[in-house]
Amino acid sequence: MSNLHSSGLQQRSSLIARLMSLPIRHAQQAVGSLGSLWRTPFTTVMTIFVLGISLALPATLHLFIKNAEKISEQWDSASQITLFLKLSTSEKSAQNLVKRISLDNDVAEVKYISSAQALKEFKVLSGFGQSLEYLDKNPLPATVLVTPTQRASQAEAANGLLAKLSKEREVDQGKLDLEWLTRLEAMARLIEDIVIGVALLLCLSVVLIVGNTIRLAILNEKDAIAIMKLVGATDSFIQRPFLYSGIWYGIFGGILSCITVTLLAWYLGYAITDLSQLYQSNFTLEGLDISEALSLIAFAITLALVGSYISVSQHIKAIEPNAD
Amino acid sequence: MIDFNKVNKTYPGGFLALKQVSFSLQSGEMAFLTGHSGAGKSTLLKLISLMEKPSSGSIQVNHTELSNIQYKQVPYVRRGIGMIFQSHNLLKDRTVFENVALPLIIEGVSSKEIKKRVETALEKVHLTSKLKCFPHMLSGGEQQRVGIARAIVNKPPILLADEPTGNLDPKLSLDIIRLFEEFNAAGVTVLIATHDLGLIARMKYRTLTLKEGTMINDGIVDGLQARGVADE
Repeated sequence: MSNLHSSGLQQRSSLIARLMSLPIRHAQQAVGSLGSLWRTPFTTVMTIFVLGISLALPATLHLFIKNAEKISEQWDSASQITLFLKLSTSEKSAQNLVKRISLDNDVAEVKYISSAQALKEFKVLSGFGQSLEYLDKNPLPATVLVTPTQRASQAEAANGLLAKLSKEREVDQGKLDLEWLTRLEAMARLIEDIVIGVALLLCLSVVLIVGNTIRLAILNEKDAIAIMKLVGATDSFIQRPFLYSGIWYGIFGGILSCITVTLLAWYLGYAITDLSQLYQSNFTLEGLDISEALSLIAFAITLALVGSYISVSQHIKAIEPNAD
Repeated sequence: MIDFNKVNKTYPGGFLALKQVSFSLQSGEMAFLTGHSGAGKSTLLKLISLMEKPSSGSIQVNHTELSNIQYKQVPYVRRGIGMIFQSHNLLKDRTVFENVALPLIIEGVSSKEIKKRVETALEKVHLTSKLKCFPHMLSGGEQQRVGIARAIVNKPPILLADEPTGNLDPKLSLDIIRLFEEFNAAGVTVLIATHDLGLIARMKYRTLTLKEGTMINDGIVDGLQARGVADE
């Protein structure tokens, strides 16, 4: 009975010791797989470069979308509605209209320009200052500039708002450059779809590249794998170093793609700033921030891990020991 | 410990390697397995070590039925069998220490325990001075002893050896067999496949003789019988 008890205790302490040594074994295999990559520098560097560049392309496209969104935010005024009031509209009626419009849930901001203000601005901007002195009366109508909310600034919603505001009795004519806005939105959607398609293809190529590199590594280690199986290694034990190799490829490939994108953004940044200044814009190109860079590396690791997992699960099971 | 009951093994193409082979090896027993080339010795060892599956019949090793074993269970059965091969099957890019430690690393034994047990195993085969050597730096006999150290390091209850003395001179062969005797004295079941009939005749252990896949003899073979087996 006491023998049974001590044997049970021994088994338990042995199990605990094995569980305790599990992280150490993982760390050893991770470092060992890094050593294996180090011993084949040419293959390793080539694979990392291919991964880095493959991931840099979708990351650059992501930057493009991010910066395009930043620009389009500056173009929100493109969906601004201009309401030209009837010449007969009194100042009081115009103010009442402004109040009514500003209560609308789809309206973010309302600006009233009286006919006198309009004439004054026109004199300054048109260069016809003196000629306008000869007019009997002010021909310009009072104007209300309506900025829709973010929700209502899309083409369809903005068009609906224009139709509604145009029905106000004080309004003579409403204007919104919808065609331009619709084209811009369609173009943005197309570019986004192209970016997603290209990014998916490039991600697939990363999975295939890592999978193929790991496959070659497995074939290279075929004899060693057979011997390990012979002395009782499980498939998961044999797979682990190859999976860690995949993770290393992901880490280094991800870091390389971050560096590539950052350098590219830095290189293009000056030219874009110069260009935007010509258009009186203070737009500057935004690169990857820390969270985006970390996400890119994590994404690279995930893709590389998927590629290596597909490869090991296909090929390691197929290798069987032979006594010869 | 090892039980064969009417085992047949047919390879793809129809070659019948083993025919109705039945025998039983008790715990702590030591036996030789002999026969000409192609008699089925290696096939029999491959069946025990799960490198092959029987076409029919039943094989029990350590009370585990092998004929219908699941793929995932195979490594755990192999851990209970120490295997030694003529070609040594050592990892070329690892040192003697790392090669011998392999079964223990696989089992998840702690580093401290691995060091202790590898040193003990290498002491038994008189190779403690070669810990840091790579296989290509060792003689054939030394490589064989590294293979033996690796086979016994996790203290398996069964040792299988396929032509362990095949490339060795008679003195070294005898040294290797003496090592197996030591392990057997410690309670390990040992099955040695060899065609060295002189060795078999000298050792006077139970001998299983195969001829064209059929078990033709099971018993102690003396010098005269050994010559008879050779003539057949």
